[in-house]
Amino acid sequence: MILSAEYAWVIPGSAIIAFCLTSLFGKKLPFRGIFLPVTAALLGFILFCLIFLDFIFADFSVTTASIDWMVVGDWSLTWGFSVDEISIVMLGLVTFISLVVQVYSIGYMSGDPRLSWYFAVHALFAGAMLALVLADNLLFLYFCWELVGLGSYLLIGFWFEKRAASEAAKKAFITTRLGDVGLLIGIILLFKATGTFHIPSIIHAAQNGAISESTLMWSSLMIFLGAMGKSAQFPFHVWLPDAMEGPTPVSALIHAATMVVAGVYLIARMLPLLEIVPGFLTIVALVGLFTFLFAGVIALVMTDIKKVLAYSTISHLGLMILTLGAGGLAAAMFHLVVHGFSKALLFLGAGSVMHGMNGETDCWKMGGLSRKMSVTSATFLIGCLSLAGIIPLSGFFSKDEMLIAINDGLGPVFLFATLAGVFLSSLYMIRLFCVIFMGRSRSEEANNSHESPPVMTFPLLVLSLFGVLLGLLALPLPLGEFEGFGNFIDPYHHFHISPWITPLSLGLALTGLIIGFMCYGYSKISHELVAMKFGYLYRLVLSKFYIDEFYQWIIDKVVLSTARFVSIFDRVVVNDTGVDGIGVSVVLSAFKARLTQTGKLYNYGTAMGVGILFMAVMWILVSN
Amino acid sequence: MELIYFQLLAAILFCIGIYGVLARKSAVLILMSIELMLNAVNINLIGYAAFSSLGAAHKNLGQVLVIFIITIAAAELALAMAIILRLYRNKNNVNVDELDILKG
Repeated sequence: MILSAEYAWVIPGSAIIAFCLTSLFGKKLPFRGIFLPVTAALLGFILFCLIFLDFIFADFSVTTASIDWMVVGDWSLTWGFSVDEISIVMLGLVTFISLVVQVYSIGYMSGDPRLSWYFAVHALFAGAMLALVLADNLLFLYFCWELVGLGSYLLIGFWFEKRAASEAAKKAFITTRLGDVGLLIGIILLFKATGTFHIPSIIHAAQNGAISESTLMWSSLMIFLGAMGKSAQFPFHVWLPDAMEGPTPVSALIHAATMVVAGVYLIARMLPLLEIVPGFLTIVALVGLFTFLFAGVIALVMTDIKKVLAYSTISHLGLMILTLGAGGLAAAMFHLVVHGFSKALLFLGAGSVMHGMNGETDCWKMGGLSRKMSVTSATFLIGCLSLAGIIPLSGFFSKDEMLIAINDGLGPVFLFATLAGVFLSSLYMIRLFCVIFMGRSRSEEANNSHESPPVMTFPLLVLSLFGVLLGLLALPLPLGEFEGFGNFIDPYHHFHISPWITPLSLGLALTGLIIGFMCYGYSKISHELVAMKFGYLYRLVLSKFYIDEFYQWIIDKVVLSTARFVSIFDRVVVNDTGVDGIGVSVVLSAFKARLTQTGKLYNYGTAMGVGILFMAVMWILVSN
Repeated sequence: MELIYFQLLAAILFCIGIYGVLARKSAVLILMSIELMLNAVNINLIGYAAFSSLGAAHKNLGQVLVIFIITIAAAELALAMAIILRLYRNKNNVNVDELDILKG
């Protein structure tokens, strides 16, 4: 049965229907309607499994289906769905994580007064994200791109009574919007050059040289800008740490596993286009590399548990972008999936910790929690080690493939810079784990903390199982014609281990772990002393390189003063002179002109006489 | 008889009418002056019709037009007199120099 794409639309469709029903009738339904989005997520996951099996057994054929949206002359715009290797991978990630996170939310969000709205927006987000990864044309993709942004905005600001939450929601929306404008311009440029939004046609046209070099360059740049905004790459990264004001399951779903990888997904989709522009992938790689190191350094000093995870997410997104810049499509997609599962696990674990700690997020007030929360601490450790890249957890395999791709595509300079990031990555991960779960309790809440209910720990166990096993997908498994994840995405890719890169990266990750453990677990090295020794540097990193302050300064000094000037210009020139001025001039001239109306009959008579005389003279002159 | 006499008479009457409209203060006299101007036009029409070289049909046409004008002028005069009477009731005079309430 090769129907994959024919019924793929049901997955986002059912989520959107669940959103409509829950948001409209949620309060009247039993359990406040939350079973509808969960059912839709479950249905989505089951359909994904069917599509995946179809795909495997129908010999990896790409299927498409489309419905006309609008027809203009002989040109038509479609809601097109396409099921290929990349979208199947994304489909699996999104349906599974959203199902797990929704189940977890049943426990985490219980008792919230706006529970049905929370679940409804979750369904809206899931529907938009699934449609985004299935879309086969850029306009439809952009449509969903904005919808996931809306879902993110609504969920970050879910507790909008808190000022910080509503501010963070606005910041996320506006910052990503800066990139989105770029994406829209890029799409329009490509449409102008090719006359179609259909992605494979555009790529085909570009490969045949039907698009001029400058158009290609600018549209690539603009599309990359959109991806940078969504995937929180430097300098657009500022919104993601603030987005942690939302409920923790939201951070797990949207700001770790799915929405933020939309940018990576977009670049992966458009990679054949970006490759054509000479030198462009190096820019992509440089942005990714800088973000990878920069966010890794900040993650090392943050004290808020969710902020550490947020900067770690930014860092790993940078790593994926860097790998795409090296042309390592398969490796980047693999890390996207592995990171999605591991980071969702870590965020849900953080949520569980916060649940047990009465909402405390400062990890220096925790400590010794492994004695109270055995399941959470064990699963959290698996997540940490996976992202640190320790064999045999899944992060090891994806990191290894990425390092090989970077070495092949960009050379040893990039490789060694990336290895420094790998070291940082394992250091901040073990630091987070040690501070929260080891040592002695540092506050009253930590003493009284408790394990979360099974509805929250079960998703943790499921995700940690994937965190352990997912890496095996990299290996060629005896499963039909499946020859490893990399080969699935890219037929020219084959799994291999480099004799020097793999031991080197593993060694660095282990060194990071040991140093972190000495520092924060056993206190053999005093981290306070290190911080004091590099006091100036420490404060610089702790205040996140003053980038937020710099943006605030730009907003205050440049944006607001420009706005003030425009506002005065509008008031004085446009309104008072232009619009009101015309009215006032009519009134004033009427006050002068009314004096000609004397009310004396002979004046009117004279005027009539003169007028007739004038017309007669004119008539005589013209007729002669 | 020649056409020019009719034209002269009409012109003299019209000028008297214009003078009356511009110089008189009483609304009734102005109305009478307007009637003079109207009749100057009528004389003109009769004259042109009588001396037309276009045949009997056009002679009749000029006279018919004059009859129409006289009829309508009568109706118009009745209306104007009614207005002047109402004016007299309210203001106690019909001097147009003092009737300037529409002044700007």
